[in-house]
Amino acid sequence: MKGYWSIVWKRFKQNKLAVVGLCIVIFLFMIAICAPLIANNKPYILIYKNKLYFPILFEYNEFSGFDFKKIEGFKIFPPIPYSYSEYDLNAVVLPPSAKHILGTDEQGRDLAARMLYGTRVSIFVGFVAVFIYVTIGIIIGALAGFYGGWVDIIISRIIEIVMCFPTFFLILTILALWGQSLLNVMIVIGITGWTGIARIVRGEFFKLREQDFVMASKALGARDYWIIFKHILPNAMAPVMVSATFGIASTILIESSLSFLGFGVQPPTPSWGDILSQSRDFIDFAWWLTLIPGFAIFITITSYNLVGEGLQDALDPKQYR
Amino acid sequence: MKYYILKRILIIVPTFIGITFITYLMIRLAPGDYTSLRAGVEGELKAGSLSKEIFEQEKKLYGLDKPVIVGYADWFYKTVKLDFGSSRKDGRKVISHIADALPITLALNILSIIIVYIISIPLGIYSSIKKDTLQDRIISLTLFLLYSLPSFWVALLLLKYLSGGDYLNLFPLGGLYSDWFDQLNLFQKGMDILWHLILPVVTLTYGGFAFLSRYTRATMLDVINQQYIITARAKGLSEKKVLFVHAFRNSLIPLLTLMATMLPGLLGGSVIVESIFSIPGMGMLAFESILSRDIPIIMAITSISAFLTLIGIFLADIMYAIADPRIRLEAKQ
Amino acid sequence: MITSHKRLYYIILLLSIILSSCTRFESVRDPYTLYIHISAEPGHLNPITSNEAIASSINAYIYETLLDRDYDTLELKPQLATKWEISSDKLHYRFYLKKNIYWSDGKPFTADDIIYSFNVIKDPKVANAPLKVYYIDVKSVKKITPYIVEFTYARPYFLALEICGSIPIVPKHIFDDGTDFNTHKNNRFPVGTGPYKFVTWNTGKTIELVVNDRYWGPKPDIKRIVYKIIPEPNVALQMLKKGELDVMALRPIQWVRQTNSKHFQESFYKFMYYQPYYNYIGWNARNPLFKDKNVRKALTMLINRQAILDSLLFGLGTVVTGPFYIHDKYYNHDIQPLPYNPVKAKEILHRAGFSDSNGDGILDKNGVAFKFTLTIASASKFAERLATILKEDFAKVGIQMDINRYEWAVFVNKVDKRDFDAVTLGWSLSWEGDPYQLWHSSQVKAGSNFCYFVNAEADEIIEKARKEFDVDKRIAMYRRFHEIIHDEQPYTFLYCTPALVAVSKRFDNVIVHKRGLNYTEWKVKQ
Repeated sequence: MKGYWSIVWKRFKQNKLAVVGLCIVIFLFMIAICAPLIANNKPYILIYKNKLYFPILFEYNEFSGFDFKKIEGFKIFPPIPYSYSEYDLNAVVLPPSAKHILGTDEQGRDLAARMLYGTRVSIFVGFVAVFIYVTIGIIIGALAGFYGGWVDIIISRIIEIVMCFPTFFLILTILALWGQSLLNVMIVIGITGWTGIARIVRGEFFKLREQDFVMASKALGARDYWIIFKHILPNAMAPVMVSATFGIASTILIESSLSFLGFGVQPPTPSWGDILSQSRDFIDFAWWLTLIPGFAIFITITSYNLVGEGLQDALDPKQYR
Repeated sequence: MKYYILKRILIIVPTFIGITFITYLMIRLAPGDYTSLRAGVEGELKAGSLSKEIFEQEKKLYGLDKPVIVGYADWFYKTVKLDFGSSRKDGRKVISHIADALPITLALNILSIIIVYIISIPLGIYSSIKKDTLQDRIISLTLFLLYSLPSFWVALLLLKYLSGGDYLNLFPLGGLYSDWFDQLNLFQKGMDILWHLILPVVTLTYGGFAFLSRYTRATMLDVINQQYIITARAKGLSEKKVLFVHAFRNSLIPLLTLMATMLPGLLGGSVIVESIFSIPGMGMLAFESILSRDIPIIMAITSISAFLTLIGIFLADIMYAIADPRIRLEAKQ
Repeated sequence: MITSHKRLYYIILLLSIILSSCTRFESVRDPYTLYIHISAEPGHLNPITSNEAIASSINAYIYETLLDRDYDTLELKPQLATKWEISSDKLHYRFYLKKNIYWSDGKPFTADDIIYSFNVIKDPKVANAPLKVYYIDVKSVKKITPYIVEFTYARPYFLALEICGSIPIVPKHIFDDGTDFNTHKNNRFPVGTGPYKFVTWNTGKTIELVVNDRYWGPKPDIKRIVYKIIPEPNVALQMLKKGELDVMALRPIQWVRQTNSKHFQESFYKFMYYQPYYNYIGWNARNPLFKDKNVRKALTMLINRQAILDSLLFGLGTVVTGPFYIHDKYYNHDIQPLPYNPVKAKEILHRAGFSDSNGDGILDKNGVAFKFTLTIASASKFAERLATILKEDFAKVGIQMDINRYEWAVFVNKVDKRDFDAVTLGWSLSWEGDPYQLWHSSQVKAGSNFCYFVNAEADEIIEKARKEFDVDKRIAMYRRFHEIIHDEQPYTFLYCTPALVAVSKRFDNVIVHKRGLNYTEWKVKQ
């Protein structure tokens, strides 16, 4: 298996656009992890009353309630000295300026800080939701594809049932049932999106189970789940990976759309779709509230799609004949 | 073959029941029901309207106090007789709500599909001819970028910059008709509606070009390299004839199969596009009825959409079976 | 094959056909038609089964009641009744009906219509539970003569006259035809005795009324009213500016930023007037955190109500302190709102036993941290903004507040089940109300007293006031009640926000009364 994936990686690297996409994805990942370091209203270093507080200040509780910008002392702030929820009713809906690089929203919250923390929501939702539905899809598709017969008939009907539900409607109803939260959005996208993966895996299993190596394993007395997970599945992973990558892109889109409609994360968690929906009130003059989050969603989705494309091309045997 | 078809048709019934029952179950289990909306609206309650007594009385009237199974059986029995019931909100028949919203959504979707096909197929064929050249790459990249644009953002931008007069005033701000609609003659009425539909259709179509043109390109490439094409060329047929008559025709079958799977999508309106452009289509109908727990409408939309999806899958499978003899043989076993 | 010349020709032909139909039309507008904006379409217009404010506002010009409220004094005055008599035991209310009043289809209005309407209201098969509860104490309505009716009330109640006098009346000859009242076809084709009669309903587009020639009163100048349904506020504002609308309720941001041009000022009046309403944060007193009234007071003092009003609502509104409409006679203007004072609030919390004993930055008492959830409805943008601001402010003093936003149906369900710690809501009040349903301890389990406000003195006042027919005595009682509420802080009262309405200057005699605007008195400028 090692040889196979290193060949795929070599082919992937040849596709410059895909590599650009991958770099952007990694960059966004880094931002998501480092967001509290880049945008925070607590300083890195503070020398206050002759005591040094370092490295990161948000662990010290004796400062709860303090406004760090007003403390007397030597302090070094992160590049964006605002948190994503810190509001300022005197700085409402301001265009980008030296004080607020990307401007402020309708509560005076710094847009740059909210955008950075927004990457966490997108990426978190993307990966967790896709992880959930890939797992479900693989298990169900493998069962259907390996055993065939009655198992397949029942499972195929279940797949049809789930496919028949208009996704959005299902998501809205489930969110109504369980309440709106980041976790529920991820779970709900996860349990409505597995059908595509299941069909792919099922198809692959149909193709592969007639192969020699499977017959050999069976002859040797290997148990079913061993064959499924150790032998067939690794060979079926390729199209699953491609679908999963595109899935992350579409999950990010779904989460943005849900937040845009008001059904996504709870306030004050920043989500790009939510920022866009708030911008509608000010659409005639607050261009930064409309253009910047929309552009961010666009770039994120594009990069995931580029990676998916690259992966698809790299895995496609026909292209490199 | 006939046995295969019969088997498939029979399975549609339990699947349909499964889908509609689960839908009904979820709506009944969801917290809140139509009676909540009678108490007030949008953050304001009429003083004194929140009382258990009121809620209990109303629940009884709407049949919401019956157990889920009974409620579902009631609905199923009426629906089989094609009586979809009346909307909780205004008492009008569900059929007339759907009759109002469906043509709009159908028009939008059919227009979009037509435009996607008209633009994507020639692009796909062109790309396949110019495989791997700069043109091919540019087309591919552009369509790809279009595909990645979030539609609600595009809709907002289109509305802001192209309509209403803040910047340009080429298009209306939304809705389906202008105010002076009644004064127009038939042809002008048609044009007016089309004018209102342009921006929504653009929003709905631009994302579809990528997939279909890529698909066309791929199938054309597959077919171009086949033996019979080489034969046709060897026979001296003009390039145009080779392309359009032979190659294109053979890539039609997968394209048509694709259309069958789009059948259920025809009825689903996009909630986001409809809400931004104020278009009262099926998407808004479904969305609002979920929010207001208007059970008769929700069940009607779900059953129609489920029915069509099942038919669509069925037809697609049939077409695959016709096109690919291997499947037919397997089914016989 | 079509040659390229011919192809070009056909394309040009097609384009010119299309372009020729693109004439910009100016709607031919009749100056005697009034175009009013409504943001949502009512379900139907039956005054007995409808619960929607928008339906009532339209029905106000179609249907009439025995008594009406004067636009300026807010006192009850005759509309379909000429006079009334109240028995000395305050249980019998006799109304003398005007003669020669006709429904807009020509049939005469008589006591039969009132009897019929009353029976419909009490009918268990009719979906009008809120009205049933409102009329629960009206035991019977008797027809004495075709033009005299008598209501019998179950107990002496100062609102009885109003309740009886405002009974919605529908024409018996139209509705009593054996079909189901809930889905009757005239629910979407109302027939009334009022100054306007219904003409047509274009679903999703307009509802149109025209002057009722058979109206018994003075004929209004405006001959037609067209209600235009436009859900998107931006679109509606554009239409107002283009002259396609004459009346529109503006949102605060539109009032402040988008309606100040010279052209707008010249073409439109802008009216700001208050209506009976207030919004609040309700603290669930069953939650151990909020049991102590001092804690509730401290919480109120942590909220900078004026600053929030000035920025989120552009200063359009007033901070209120009690459970009455601020311009109501019962409102106690001597009571000052608790000041915004986080330092003092912290002291109060400290004295109530809250301190950060484990150093985690969150106040606690007896091992329980001061954490709670604020429940808001997703339809209310204001609630969301308020909640995020409060979260930040409370965090600074060591209170952790989480936000739970629900869609409306779920939200009402949660409030009804009392499944919340704190909630943000608004009450839309009537012109003359009785605090019983919201504040009496009997309403705690099943009524609208979902914050578990229980106070013996308040209960006593409410019960006595219901039977008090002397207005001045009642005013004194209710003002004392306001004091109690202020002391207890079961809610943190927020604001009364005004209606913001733009009206086209092509009308004269547009006066803002206490009750609001009255289209029937407007005159079209020549």
